[in-house]
Amino acid sequence: MNQFVYDIAVWLDNTAWSTLLHESYYMYNWVESIHVLSLIICLGMLFLIDLRMLGYALPNVPASSIANRLNLPMLLGFSIMVFTGLLLFYAVPVRSTQSVWFRAKMILLLGCAINAFLFHKRMNESVSSWDNDARAPGRIRLGAALSLGFWSLVVICGRFIAYDWFDCEYTDVGSLSQMLSGCIDGQTRY
Amino acid sequence: MSEEDKNAAKMDDVQTAAVAISTTIIVFFVIYWAIQIDSVRDLLNMAYG
Amino acid sequence: MSTTSATTSGSYTKTITVVTLVLLILAFSFSSLRRDTWLQLYEFFLWMETTPFGVIGKTWGAVFAIVEAFHLLAMALLGGAVVVADARLMGWIFADIPAREILDKTHKVFVAGLIVVLATGIFMACGVAGKIYWLPVFWYKMLALATGIFFVFFIRRPLLRRDLNEIRPIVVKLVAISSMLVWVTVAATGRWIGFAGS
Repeated sequence: MNQFVYDIAVWLDNTAWSTLLHESYYMYNWVESIHVLSLIICLGMLFLIDLRMLGYALPNVPASSIANRLNLPMLLGFSIMVFTGLLLFYAVPVRSTQSVWFRAKMILLLGCAINAFLFHKRMNESVSSWDNDARAPGRIRLGAALSLGFWSLVVICGRFIAYDWFDCEYTDVGSLSQMLSGCIDGQTRY
Repeated sequence: MSEEDKNAAKMDDVQTAAVAISTTIIVFFVIYWAIQIDSVRDLLNMAYG
Repeated sequence: MSTTSATTSGSYTKTITVVTLVLLILAFSFSSLRRDTWLQLYEFFLWMETTPFGVIGKTWGAVFAIVEAFHLLAMALLGGAVVVADARLMGWIFADIPAREILDKTHKVFVAGLIVVLATGIFMACGVAGKIYWLPVFWYKMLALATGIFFVFFIRRPLLRRDLNEIRPIVVKLVAISSMLVWVTVAATGRWIGFAGS
């Protein structure tokens, strides 16, 4: 499995565009900047929705109204974020796939997705009965809190990817970190 | 009457100040980012011709 | 307020302050004073690195990275508040909900975000004080940040406390546009600080 993932990453790394993007100071930094700026849009909207459910922001505006209106800018920011995120991954494929933080981030993103799905489902089922309440019912509040928590961890992990503490290149063979990172014995590409 | 006048004048002050600072911000923003983009263009030009 | 002239100058305090400040900053930027001040600040930046914040930030990369992440998260909160409030002013969203409601509540979120951003920002600045001192982009960011804070608390907030119908629509739009521009600049120049050192 690790070998398979590594092989795909090496194959991606060998493509010309990946090298171009990685080596281009301006292009790479612009992509990275747009990733972070769209994060501000996406998570800014998301946090406002979550805080509304928890009763901390905009308590007098109907919950469904907040959720529906802020959905579009949130998804817009989200799609730019995903697109630039894919580009960033494409620029540095081997190191990313073998990063503990990147792997944790992907799992957390999965958590975010499941949570968002359940949140929407529960909300659509019952919103009419509590739309004007300052605080949403318990289950919705739990979803909002989980969403805040998951996304905060995603950002922290994302930020940590930039640090090389657990890179395969610098850790001991057979260590826990190497196992979690899926390092390959005798690999030549990082 | 005089109370109303004062009110109108006061509102004018904040509005004028708002216009002044907004215009300044917008002008500075345009100049700053124009210089940034231009310097990148110059650099790329020097690098690749 | 006994004489007419006193009333006139008194009622234009904000305008006069803004114009004076802009002129002062311009004069400062294009005179040797800017360089002199910058040279004098070197000691201060060296001192920043010796503070507990600076020592922690330099010694434990993990702590620095976590603070960085929270800086970003708070920035998201601040950005979200700014975007929603300004979009409402432009009439893009929530047109059917009273602007007062949106503006007051998002301002609270904005202030909370700003406090965290400033606190984490100061911590990070201490950790890399010796580096950022030499980066023009850091000083531009500080200028943009100072402008943003001044703009929000001295102009935007007092102005928007009024009934929106009493303010000329063009002024409202100008305020919304410049507010978005100034915070985008703060965020973008901030991100660039990270690249400039590498």
